[in-house]
Amino acid sequence: MILNLAHIRRTFGATVALDDVSLSAGPGEIIGIIGENGAGKTTLMRIIAGEIVPDAGSVAVDGTVGFVHQHFMLVSEFTIAENLALAAGSMHPPVSFERPRRLVRELSVGERSKLELAKAIAGRPRVLILDEPTSVLTPVEAEDLFQTMRLLADSGTCVLLISHKIREVLGVATRTVVMRRGRIVAENLSAEAMARAMVDVPVEPGRSRSNRTASGREADESRLYRPGQIAAIIGVAGNGQVELATRLRDTLARASAAHIPEDRTRDGFVAEMSIAENIALLAGVRGARARAARLIETYGIRASGPEQRAGSLSGGNQQKLLLARELDRNPKIIIAAEPTRGLDFESTRFVHQQLRAAAERGAAIVLITSDLDEAFALADEIRVIYRGRLSEPLTPAEASERAGRLMAGLE
Amino acid sequence: MRRIVAGVVAAAAAIAVLAFCGLALGHAPAELLRVAIRGSVGSPFALQGTIVKSIPLLLTGLSVAVAFRAGVWNIGAEGQFIVGALAAFVAAPWGLTAALIVSIAAGAVWASIATALRFWRGAPEVLTTILLNFVGLHLLGWAVNGPLQERIAQYPQTDPIPSSAALPRFGLTSLHAGIVIAVVVCIALWIFLERTTEGLRMRATGFNASAAQWAGVNVTLQIAGAMAISGGVAGLAGGIELLGVTHRLFELFAAGYGYSGIAVALLAQLHPIGTLVSALFFGALQTAAGELQRSANISITVATFGQAVVILTIIGFGSFRARD
Repeated sequence: MILNLAHIRRTFGATVALDDVSLSAGPGEIIGIIGENGAGKTTLMRIIAGEIVPDAGSVAVDGTVGFVHQHFMLVSEFTIAENLALAAGSMHPPVSFERPRRLVRELSVGERSKLELAKAIAGRPRVLILDEPTSVLTPVEAEDLFQTMRLLADSGTCVLLISHKIREVLGVATRTVVMRRGRIVAENLSAEAMARAMVDVPVEPGRSRSNRTASGREADESRLYRPGQIAAIIGVAGNGQVELATRLRDTLARASAAHIPEDRTRDGFVAEMSIAENIALLAGVRGARARAARLIETYGIRASGPEQRAGSLSGGNQQKLLLARELDRNPKIIIAAEPTRGLDFESTRFVHQQLRAAAERGAAIVLITSDLDEAFALADEIRVIYRGRLSEPLTPAEASERAGRLMAGLE
Repeated sequence: MRRIVAGVVAAAAAIAVLAFCGLALGHAPAELLRVAIRGSVGSPFALQGTIVKSIPLLLTGLSVAVAFRAGVWNIGAEGQFIVGALAAFVAAPWGLTAALIVSIAAGAVWASIATALRFWRGAPEVLTTILLNFVGLHLLGWAVNGPLQERIAQYPQTDPIPSSAALPRFGLTSLHAGIVIAVVVCIALWIFLERTTEGLRMRATGFNASAAQWAGVNVTLQIAGAMAISGGVAGLAGGIELLGVTHRLFELFAAGYGYSGIAVALLAQLHPIGTLVSALFFGALQTAAGELQRSANISITVATFGQAVVILTIIGFGSFRARD
């Protein structure tokens, strides 16, 4: 074994980034590490590279580690050769590069990523870490990179590839690992099972997988809204959920539509302004104080009064404020993106209650969520979003059978 | 409360630094202070001078404050001031009201060039408004050496405006009715920003444009509106300076009032009513600097120096606040 991690734990403040993670790898392996943003992939890699120290557990690496970071770490005013020399610590790095006297700022993104890789292997590492290396590459460049990875593996290097693209990992890795919320939750899964594991749906074995025709064509978005109905849109993060919510914001008339944005702290309210002012942004300043006082009461927002700064509210109360502002106007359409992300149990229950009540009043609700339990608990129909496309509507029963395949892009 | 403290400390810091410089040049600070007070507020005549200087400062300060509150970095009050005065001069034959209205419109249009460039080409308004200052300055230079030069064509300046277009003065003083207009604009902007829905939306855009957009605010419109209001007020400042004080245009007409507006607005912590106080402070600083030049032979640029100290102190306070 080149690499041996045992029971690694690491916290950042109150957040547990890694919890009891064990992983070992030998020469010639290409290990695909997959998981959503915030699952702990990068933290784990930084521990392997020695950039951060774990709170508990042991790290054993036989040999040096090369690390290609997700973001370029190049000196753009230096030449290729100078950047290589900087990384290798000698003016004669063991890697050659065509026309090495070009400045980095003149290079294409693909060439820069190649240079990053060259830097990483200049020190002849036994372990090579690649953090989301293909996010900026064209498919051809990505295939080139995979070819290089295979060559390195054949010569005995152990390659760790971080990605959230299931297909790409399955195409190159000899072994795959799924991380979620700081833990390794599964190994060597099929694409479908991997998609499920990333977003936390129990895999139900033994179910027949009917091979239906692809349903990937873009559904007519106006058919999302049915009065009194909750339509959930689920999928792996980064498949166009944000773009969809933004597009709906920009196309629906604001007078009859309510929006709960995904990034609550940035988009939900103006932190510097008071509760009353945040409500008045939408409802107008006339009678704003009285309205705010009433909403604080009705929605049980824990605040000292309408004048309290919105930014000083706790997360759950901020979401209540947002719901109060948006739902109090009796909107016909409600677009709620990740409305319970990061909330505690009680606040989550409150949000669900409010959404159900709004549906009962006749509002059409579109719930964009990565929490499948939430989707199954609330929705009348479920669609899967994959690469910006919505699937046909599924009943919750159909969805529990097909969602995994749809989310992985296999249908 | 904290904002008031920051303002007072900044003003005090400016005075202290100036006193220290006076000391370094061999003057007793107490003596300098006495001269400065005599020159700015010590006599009815000095007080008049201070107030007359404060009027354009109040308006350019308001211009900058409105833009900054909306998160728009209009550094172009100087150019808008000049263009407003030019337009007012051209419109003066049609009377005072016409001249004032045209000065507002010209300033607004001039500022809106920067808005158009921002939305059309993504050009940052910090740059475009500064560059437009130079365009305005040279436009004025060309006008007073060319088409608008006085009939006898002796100096690079215009003929005086018709007396019917001049702002009325109070008795025999140099105080003119521009002060009433400036104070009305000040109160109107305060009500607009703090008490109306559109003002609230403009401020929200300045704090967090993304959140404002999710709350249904048309951010583009707010930015364009803030820029137009800002430019209009700066243009009005130029119009009032022409119609109330100089009565004619010349190359150095603007005298940095537009740039000083930035210091006025920052000392006022971007609050319209605070601008009233800080405009008076900087007006006094300018007249005091004039007196210091006459009596103590200290260069009048100390006034500019004082402004710089105020801006730096306020910025220091700002970063201090951001950290806690």
